[in-house]
Amino acid sequence: MAAVFNLNHHATYVHWHFIQLSLSNILVIAVMLIVFAAAILIPFPHPKEAGRQS
Amino acid sequence: MSVTEPPASRSSSWTARVRERAVEALPPEKLLSDKQPSYVASWIYVFGVLSLSALAVIILSGTILALKGPGWWHFTGVGRFFNGTHLWSVELFFFFMVIHLWGKYWMAAWRGRRKNVWITGAIVFLIAIPCALTGYVSQQNFDAQWISTQAKDAMNATGIGAFFNLLNFGQMYSWHVLLLPVAVVAVVVAHVLLVRKHGVVPPFRLEAKAATPAPASVDGGPSGSGPEDRMPTAPPDAGATSPVEGSS
Repeated sequence: MAAVFNLNHHATYVHWHFIQLSLSNILVIAVMLIVFAAAILIPFPHPKEAGRQS
Repeated sequence: MSVTEPPASRSSSWTARVRERAVEALPPEKLLSDKQPSYVASWIYVFGVLSLSALAVIILSGTILALKGPGWWHFTGVGRFFNGTHLWSVELFFFFMVIHLWGKYWMAAWRGRRKNVWITGAIVFLIAIPCALTGYVSQQNFDAQWISTQAKDAMNATGIGAFFNLLNFGQMYSWHVLLLPVAVVAVVVAHVLLVRKHGVVPPFRLEAKAATPAPASVDGGPSGSGPEDRMPTAPPDAGATSPVEGSS
């Protein structure tokens, strides 16, 4: 991981009033929101035979 | 002339009483059901199972780390691999668990006498936080020193610093490898058993709400939002007509 990303520096932080989050944490939260939206919106695959029975 | 049988009396043995109550509360066909309602086919439950899988990896990798010790997990290639596996399985455990919790919150998963299912799930999340914190301060490196010296002020501010000292490695290690993992696993087991007992929460009756325009309620809030309106037609434990086999 360290070979891909240069980690030899201070972390980048985002300040907004009293909220202070590291950029990496913001990215993780954003990915979680995207995955959550995908889990809601993407249809769950159903077995084909179950559809034929009805 | 018919002879009526006397009612079955409880056994005097406590083991038999415990067994009878356990089977009564959770019969084998419920405990290890091979069919689930059709609405269980949802990605949200996949994330619940992924949380359990991540927890299994956490326990396995953590057991190996505890057996080998910090000299191994810091200075050998295999040790660093298991150290990384333990860290990333924890990250994924939280990732999957939060998505599962978000989904269950918006499904109002406490409906139909399932409040304990919801509460145990939330408690797992709350116990997992200090479990992870004590893990970070048990790493035996500068990262652990930094986190412990920063976090101790927060603990002292709450007043629990007297018996939960983040600068005491032995105490933190005991919390991390025994007390908190046992609590997490115990509540997870209770959560899964409660899910088996009560069944997965049925979805909202959206089509009924959309078809029937309801008058305004007395308190000015949206009508049709009472507990009985939120409940589906089927009883809480009833399954849908098209079961899904082999899922949980």
